[in-house]
Amino acid sequence: MSLVAPDGTGIDLPAVAPSPGGSGTQLRWSHRHLLDLDVVTWPEIELVMRTTDAMREVLARPIAKVPALRGTGVTILFYEASTRTRVSFEVAAKNLSADVVNIAAASSSVAKGESLVDTIRTVEALGADMIVMRHGTSGAPYLAAEHFGGSILNGGDGWHAHPSQALLDLYTIREHLPGGPDLHGRKVVILGDVLHSRVARSNVWSLTAAGADLWLCGPATLLRGFDRWAAAMGAAPGHGRFTVTADLDAALRDADVVMALRIQRERMSGGLLPSLREYAARFGLTLERLGAARPDVLIMHPGPMNEGVEIAPEVAIDPRSVITDQVTNGVAVRMALLYLLAGAAGHHRETSGG
Amino acid sequence: MAPEGARLGGVVADLEVSRAWLVDPAIGREGPGDIVVEDGVLRSVVWLDGAEAEGIDDRGVVVAPGLVDLHAHFREPGFEDAETVATGMAAAAHGGFTTVCAMANTSPAIDEASVLVRVREAAERSGSPVELLVYGAVSAGRKGETLAALGELSDGGAIGFSDDGAPVRSAAILRHALAYAGMLGRVIVDHPEEPILTDGAEANEGLVATILGLKGWPTAAEASAVGRDLAILTEVLADVPAARLHLTHLSTAASLELVRRAKAAGLPVTCDITPHHLALTDEWLAGARRWAWEALDEDGRARSPWADGALVAGPFDPTLRVNPPLRSALDAAALLAALVDGTADAIATDHAPHTRVDKEVEFGLAANGISGIETALGIVLAAVDAGRLPLSRAIEALTTGPGGVLHGWGWGGSRRLVEGEAADLVLFDRSTPWRVEAAGLASRGKNTPLLGRDLPGRVLLTVAGGRLAYEEPG
Repeated sequence: MSLVAPDGTGIDLPAVAPSPGGSGTQLRWSHRHLLDLDVVTWPEIELVMRTTDAMREVLARPIAKVPALRGTGVTILFYEASTRTRVSFEVAAKNLSADVVNIAAASSSVAKGESLVDTIRTVEALGADMIVMRHGTSGAPYLAAEHFGGSILNGGDGWHAHPSQALLDLYTIREHLPGGPDLHGRKVVILGDVLHSRVARSNVWSLTAAGADLWLCGPATLLRGFDRWAAAMGAAPGHGRFTVTADLDAALRDADVVMALRIQRERMSGGLLPSLREYAARFGLTLERLGAARPDVLIMHPGPMNEGVEIAPEVAIDPRSVITDQVTNGVAVRMALLYLLAGAAGHHRETSGG
Repeated sequence: MAPEGARLGGVVADLEVSRAWLVDPAIGREGPGDIVVEDGVLRSVVWLDGAEAEGIDDRGVVVAPGLVDLHAHFREPGFEDAETVATGMAAAAHGGFTTVCAMANTSPAIDEASVLVRVREAAERSGSPVELLVYGAVSAGRKGETLAALGELSDGGAIGFSDDGAPVRSAAILRHALAYAGMLGRVIVDHPEEPILTDGAEANEGLVATILGLKGWPTAAEASAVGRDLAILTEVLADVPAARLHLTHLSTAASLELVRRAKAAGLPVTCDITPHHLALTDEWLAGARRWAWEALDEDGRARSPWADGALVAGPFDPTLRVNPPLRSALDAAALLAALVDGTADAIATDHAPHTRVDKEVEFGLAANGISGIETALGIVLAAVDAGRLPLSRAIEALTTGPGGVLHGWGWGGSRRLVEGEAADLVLFDRSTPWRVEAAGLASRGKNTPLLGRDLPGRVLLTVAGGRLAYEEPG
């Protein structure tokens, strides 16, 4: 595969290395939709990582634009307020020369009671080949995928999944992890409101597939049910360890990566937490607490941050923080995903050569 | 074998069934036999033995008393696009049911006699011979604030009272309703649910809800309501010994254990479970399609469908959204045990038809309910086929079980194969399965997760009160 930039230079796109003794055929991306990572294999995740490397090369050029998706209609359909994910997808799609339409669903006919299925059919009739969708209800993109002839890329659904975020998290970890990109046995801690977090759920699939020693940590009310997941996955061969605990000290001890999750104010009214102050005192990520982690620990946050609650301001800007790298890598990962999905659906302008 | 010259609703003039497998739970007997129906009357029942019985087993055509459903939603008045009394009765007959109790959560609710009269008139107009019994609401408008017109509804023939669709929210109203209905000789049927614990809930709390990011629906929301209801019943009985409580669609191991103990203590409480809570589990939400008993390992532990390759369909199918939610394989196993030991008196369908508009939406926004009166027998027979339930107990839980519950509420009907009585029976064939297809369902509600699946026990013929209710086409 290759991409051709406007200046005429080609960029080689990677293929996963052929298996030893194999025929040398390249692994192709076969999923028409990207709804979650549970059905994505590790070799496919590696293909995303390598394609992202190529997209970063594109982004490093003076004109960061390639014609790969010229003539492809990408509709960004967001039912929830979002800045960074929506803009990240929009920039990614435009860098690939797609025709981008933005729909903030709260202000469209959805407010008049149009059903999701009707909206999807309408968007398709208006020429969309791909829909990047965010929805407040878990599972909504699966319904959309059933009624759409093109590709659905899940930009976050309810508490369920946020696959592009998990992939950009993985890319960022692999890029910055001292000692190299192999996560086998490396301790990754996801800290905070795990219960309501689609980021945490998608990260469980990708990080355990990467072989990481995954820890989910937070107050007991915000971890409910995850011990069952850890127990169920403990039996799966080839996956990393998966531990769920409310013991922050145990979680942070010798951690290689710590990712803090956003705590939302409405969790107080539901009685899940006594107060933000108490949360910050017991579970807030401070420099002092990070002393228990490895000295070169990576600090992450999917954003937007409540500084002073789940993460201390000085932690967010610590030299070990890769929070802004997550944002930058988000564009490259999303370019890679749009490119791969379009290839699987046959929307590429040109894909041969390479 | 086919009834000569009969049309739907007409008296079955002449029907002979030879060398079938008869099941009569009323006398605890099953075996090879012949029956003859003349002019709507069961003229002869002959139990075969010896050489005559040779080659007949329970895997072919079965003759059983007509099935009884304690819990169905026929949506009329108010939601006729989802179901009408006429289409509901046709669906019941296709499912082998000859007596059905319709719930009161219509619009307007059946909280005064005039609405009840409308429903009974619709049943009359339908021409169906299926017997329709109707619940009145417990509270006015089913709001749980003041009592509905209980006396008037009772005089008008209400079989009992229920706010189903929702629990009797106020414990005080439940207390008064149990006493007042007891005075009238009527039962209160409660849908046990503690709404504070189920606010916004989407799926049974557990592994599946956790992984799918659905808000958990704790089993304690049901068990705590069952505990409340039993405590109130105990106290009301001291003043009103005739007070009666029936708990419908119990779905958890904990609730059934509470009822088991209450029955052992002599409380006048009965309960039912649904076919879907017996045989389907929350892992269907993730895309598994195996029966509940197939989701347990040899040691009786629940298996993870993610670990053993059981996910064969897409996740978040809104036809699976139901209240109470589909539970774990362990809860389903507890339901089966309760059915076998008699803690569960009956299988009731909770037939809940919905329109596409209300169902073909995001999982968490979909209306609760499964259209189930036509698949109930098939699901229960799947448990029989799997060796989890004796055929005789399955039929009992669909006939004399609910019939006995209804007798306690003053119903004068019967379910037995006795010569000289009006024929009320179902014939089904266990030798060949049938495929559940939308076009083949008489109900307007096509909202079943079983579409496309083969079920055992094809219903050939349903006779209600001596009249033809359903006959397999062709």
